[in-house]
Amino acid sequence: MSALAQQWGESLRSAVHARGPRWLDELRLRASDQLSTHGLPHRKDEDWKYTPMRVLEKLNPSLGGKSGDEVASELVFPAALIEDPDCMIDICDGVLMRQEGKDRPGVTILSLSEGLQRYEPLLRKLIESVDISGSAQAFAALNTAALDQGLVIHIDGQVDAGTILLRWALSGNAGPSIHNFRVFLLLGEGARVQLVEQFESVTDAGGALNVLVHLELGTNAVLDHLRIQNEAETSVLMSATRIEQAQGSRYGYAGFDLGGGLVRHDLKTVFGGSDAHAAFMGAFVLDGATHVDNHISVDHASPDCSSEQFFRGVLGGRSRGVFNCKALIRPGADGSSVRQSNANLLLSPWAQIDTKPELEIYADEVEASHGATVGQLDEAAIFYLRTRGLSENAARRLLVGAFCRAVTDKLENKTLAGRITEMIDHAMPTYTENRGQVQ
Amino acid sequence: MLEIKNLHVTVGGKPILKGLDFTIEAGQVHAIMGPNGAGKSTLGNVIAGREGYEVTQGEVLFKGKNLLELKPEERACEGIFMAFQYPVEIPGVNNTYFLRAALNAQRKYRGEPELDSMQFLKLVREKLKILHISDDLLHRAVNEGFSGGEKKRNEIFQMAVLEPVLAVLDETDSGLDIDALRLVAEGINRLRSEDRAMIVITHYQRLLDHIVPDRVHVLADGKIVASGGADLALKLEEQGYAWLEQGGIQPLDVELRA
Repeated sequence: MSALAQQWGESLRSAVHARGPRWLDELRLRASDQLSTHGLPHRKDEDWKYTPMRVLEKLNPSLGGKSGDEVASELVFPAALIEDPDCMIDICDGVLMRQEGKDRPGVTILSLSEGLQRYEPLLRKLIESVDISGSAQAFAALNTAALDQGLVIHIDGQVDAGTILLRWALSGNAGPSIHNFRVFLLLGEGARVQLVEQFESVTDAGGALNVLVHLELGTNAVLDHLRIQNEAETSVLMSATRIEQAQGSRYGYAGFDLGGGLVRHDLKTVFGGSDAHAAFMGAFVLDGATHVDNHISVDHASPDCSSEQFFRGVLGGRSRGVFNCKALIRPGADGSSVRQSNANLLLSPWAQIDTKPELEIYADEVEASHGATVGQLDEAAIFYLRTRGLSENAARRLLVGAFCRAVTDKLENKTLAGRITEMIDHAMPTYTENRGQVQ
Repeated sequence: MLEIKNLHVTVGGKPILKGLDFTIEAGQVHAIMGPNGAGKSTLGNVIAGREGYEVTQGEVLFKGKNLLELKPEERACEGIFMAFQYPVEIPGVNNTYFLRAALNAQRKYRGEPELDSMQFLKLVREKLKILHISDDLLHRAVNEGFSGGEKKRNEIFQMAVLEPVLAVLDETDSGLDIDALRLVAEGINRLRSEDRAMIVITHYQRLLDHIVPDRVHVLADGKIVASGGADLALKLEEQGYAWLEQGGIQPLDVELRA
């Protein structure tokens, strides 16, 4: 049990006095107690086996609790990944800073406190559905205990909300802190939206962010979710994305991790109705002392749904990657289809990857495939490229780029794919000529 | 242009080349023939700079420079090209993109301005025309899913674009049917020039029906044991390599090597 969690738990408990609504105050208290009692995740928690809390403990962040005014207003957010989004929302140090965009009929964007007034029953259901018990759920407990800052986006049925860009930043002002934030994106029947999340630290000062995102897809709703994470090695990013999919809905995730001292992303989708589809793809390109852990879980609770997971990892330096994808096909979920694939390149003797595809099948009529590979660059290919005049470094970069393009080529927006390819290129480990590595 | 003197090479501690001497000048095409295991491909690999080939004695001079000190990419930039016996498939790397990157790396090395994509495309179209190759291989990944013939043609196409001073063609005829062989040989013939030397490493005489060499060398047991004109290849085809070992070369007009 960690002193850090105990300290946070106690501090949060004492901060809960009639902030309301009442059910939420009670939940905040319960969550604070869970956090104090069970502490942070540890090696004995199966889901955290390969992701130690060392970096977070070393950072030793206090609880961030600034109001919007206290956060430096002149913070430089990274350049927007998407040109001209329909809506752009900036969140710094866990505080809503700015919202720009056109007013679209049928699209409602509110702060959490406003949202709770307008959609209380719906939000309550989602907030209470989060498992906060035990050390493995410490960050969910922390997020719940600290639940205060948040964003609610509601899209009415049959409305296409275009593209919503969320830019996340840490200022590093006033010492290392851990900031909590909650997002609710609620799509009505047949609604559509593209959600783009950009996590990039503007400074190397370090800090921690603990984000929980609820994505609720109504019948036949379509959500295209893109996330770029390029945090500094001094930053910690804990995030969870919880998706609930109604019948016929389609969720597509593309995630690119290019940095971060300690990054964890839990994605979980539940098929609440038949004929739903979820596709997860992404790449992690790591160097230095970065650590990125992606955990994806798909709950085939309804028949005739399909899910895909396609990830590529490139690890150099002393970086560490963890990839876990799990599909659970419940009894009666006949007609389910699951495809899982994760291929990795290790570019340094000190880099490490732990990859584990998991299938649990309790239905009869199911199509499932999974595969994970770990390898190195093909030396014959490197030699071939060098005999044409490319330097060893250029040859290796060309091969790594090609390996990652298996993912970026699947992106429909080619401008965006080009930009991400550039970012990947930039994040790629560099070599010295004698095949050692420079960081 | 290329001068090899008393070259001894071991692979994994095993001697393969045992005192090879060889010289080629600009404008010439030399064929190197020989039985399996004679060291033909080792010679190609040593010239291209592949790792794992240890030179224990001798020297290789290219345009007067010590070639063995150069990295494979430096050799390429100096003007050496090797057409591989087994061209490597590189999934995900576009053929045109790769070739432009390679050409520009060489141009940069030589202090020449790099070509933008329009200039490069123009150059590529010219070369395709000279070689009578269709442009479909431009849009594919390097050698991925290519037939044997397409792979070899792609090698010749790369050679045409990179315009080397010295080309080493390592068993370019292997795995080709008669028609593909003719196409590849025609491509090579079109690239013959006064400024360019070519070393054609081959197992069989049939490639030399199409590419008539200035000199033919026989490599056996790590050394060049006989050299002669184009008719030496015919004699070898007729009588086999065993005939060499029985000392059958004497009646021919060939110079004998020690």
